[in-house]
Amino acid sequence: MAVTHSTSNRTAGEPRRLGDGAFALVLTLPGFALLAAVVLYPLIAALVTAFFEQSLVLPGREFVGFDNLRDVFQDDFWQLLRQTLVFTAGSTILPFVIGFGLALALNTGIRGQRVFRGLLLVPWLVPGVVVSFLWMWIFNANYGVLNGVLENIGLLDSPQAWLADPGQASAAVIIAKTWQSFPWIMVMLLAALQTVPVELHEAAEVDGAGAVRRFFAITVPHLKGIIGIVLLLELIWNFQHFDIIYVMTGGGPAGSTQTFATAVYETAFKGFDLGHAGAIGLLWMLILMVFVVVYVRYSERGEEK
Amino acid sequence: MTGTVTRRDLLRLMGVGAGAFGIGGLVACAPSADNDDDDSGGTSETGDAAQDFSFASWSLADDASKAEIQKLMDAFASANDVSVSGVPYAYNDYLNQLTLQVQGGQFTGAAQLDIAWLAALSALGKLRDLGSVAEGVDYTESGLLSGQVDGVQYGLPWTTAAIGLIANREHLDQVGVTEPPATLADFEAVLTELKGAGFIPYAASTKVAQLKDILIWMETFGSPLIDGDQVTIGDDASIEAVTWYKKLYDQGLIAPDVERLDARNLFSQGRAAMYDDAIVGKAFVVGESPDPELLSKLTALPRPVLAAGDTPRAVQWGHAIVVVDGEGADTAAEFAKFVTSDEELVLGYFEALGLPPTTDTALASDTVQNDPFTAEFGERITATATPNPFWRFPQYAQMETAVAEQVQAVLTGASSPADAMRAAGEAVQGLV
Repeated sequence: MAVTHSTSNRTAGEPRRLGDGAFALVLTLPGFALLAAVVLYPLIAALVTAFFEQSLVLPGREFVGFDNLRDVFQDDFWQLLRQTLVFTAGSTILPFVIGFGLALALNTGIRGQRVFRGLLLVPWLVPGVVVSFLWMWIFNANYGVLNGVLENIGLLDSPQAWLADPGQASAAVIIAKTWQSFPWIMVMLLAALQTVPVELHEAAEVDGAGAVRRFFAITVPHLKGIIGIVLLLELIWNFQHFDIIYVMTGGGPAGSTQTFATAVYETAFKGFDLGHAGAIGLLWMLILMVFVVVYVRYSERGEEK
Repeated sequence: MTGTVTRRDLLRLMGVGAGAFGIGGLVACAPSADNDDDDSGGTSETGDAAQDFSFASWSLADDASKAEIQKLMDAFASANDVSVSGVPYAYNDYLNQLTLQVQGGQFTGAAQLDIAWLAALSALGKLRDLGSVAEGVDYTESGLLSGQVDGVQYGLPWTTAAIGLIANREHLDQVGVTEPPATLADFEAVLTELKGAGFIPYAASTKVAQLKDILIWMETFGSPLIDGDQVTIGDDASIEAVTWYKKLYDQGLIAPDVERLDARNLFSQGRAAMYDDAIVGKAFVVGESPDPELLSKLTALPRPVLAAGDTPRAVQWGHAIVVVDGEGADTAAEFAKFVTSDEELVLGYFEALGLPPTTDTALASDTVQNDPFTAEFGERITATATPNPFWRFPQYAQMETAVAEQVQAVLTGASSPADAMRAAGEAVQGLV
């Protein structure tokens, strides 16, 4: 069906036609309506809850202003922020380094590159909960693989309770998340690496530039855009990551791996305190917005170039 | 085909769309099928037709027991020509999941319930009073009491016993222990011997999920936990209990990173000499063990006491079946009665899983009377068991989590016993 939509030269009695802008707007309305129903309404409703004392299981709620926010700041906000940032930074930097290294290795044209690339993608394809159980088993204090291996090669005298120690538990969830994330980073960077003109490297080599010099002078500048996007997306995703932390440690031991994501769930669905959970969620979203704004501006700058 | 889309056309289309959307929304917002009219669906007892219903159960999520539960459901379904849909949730998430489902109106029917959770679930106001259903059944008095909140019979008792220490007699013999250690000092000495023999002496809970077990040790040390509505956690006895637990942890007499399922695994593999469990643990550890003789080696130990002559402490434990009002609730109530009182069924269930029945007739049967482990467990543990004083509060689950998190903070060295118990006491008091 060909569609015409003009507003000019309308004669009496003829229906008024839509302009392009209005027509486009109307076409997007169903999408907006769906978005409003499944995203905006729940989001706004959850954020509004931050200003009420409300239980998940008891009827009624009472407006309490900023009390919930004040309580969050007094209770555990700074600890949650610190732990969330530690997890986010660790789970972004470590897989980035590994993913970048593997992408460089696979880009050298080694034999079996496709097979390696396929195999290395497996962790990314495994569901998060399965990854979590896998690593829980590896790190288990009493029958874990890691303790077994370390004891057998003489590096440990007695089993180590990796997930029962606050510092080691934090490291363990970062390692598990790294294992799950690096393939995606590797694939993105490998794709970008394959767009770097070989001629540039050859010319630089002729001019006497070594491998390191060529890496920093040609490869890295060429990948700057994709590196920025990958890092920002990883930061955003890790800042709101839930499943691996929740399944592996439940936020423990003693709350040492609790992040905003797990704290909101624990508070709402185990503590049944929707008001407090809403307050944590509100603060969490405000911080997340900073990452999102940086990401959007970075993307826009890339498009302008 | 060529056409012209005018504003009028679009408005018309949007009107139709909005109408459809509105109707859809109204349908979605309309009361679901579980309204009062449907409650009249009854069973053969009331003369009405039996209705399909759901049965929520953590035992359905447990490999050791799900086949037996399925048998019970199938038996009722075929006898009444209805369909019983199983709703499995793992034990550790069970109360939260069930609460959310019931509160959201997504679940009606029968549900297995730990007697500790009865007050929490009844607070939602959606449980059916099963007093009239229980009439005429010879449930034991203690069983009936375990299913009541403020005198209302919300649950039909399915099994009642206690949580206590289960040990491997062979491991105890190996270190020369022939009698259960009576006092805490004796107990520590036995644990030290067991450690020396290469065992995990006591696979006590050290993960938050089951660290509620610390409460019975607090009571053993003399803390009442609550006096009236005044929480006493933070008193000297509770601090001493946690200090002692931390000592066991630091000395390697209890293992890190353990909850009930880990403990059962370690025990069934012969690596742990003892652990805390309800009598239901027998079926799991025996079923999972590579040792075909493990059943004959199981022994129940009374919990050691602070001073010789004290009464050993044990916490009551049991399951009830409750009915959430709504579609199929009448039939679900009949199911609850059938599963908890049909003699052949409860004895078969006992033989398969070792869960003591709750009717006088079944308890007096040879099947139960002649089971040595059940007899020993009853004599040494259930006989002195008491309910946890926090069970009466709907916020019980939050209370035990508040305590467990503080105890874990002590175990990891993040907090001192005194600070942690003071914080735990304040947190629990805030929930009273």
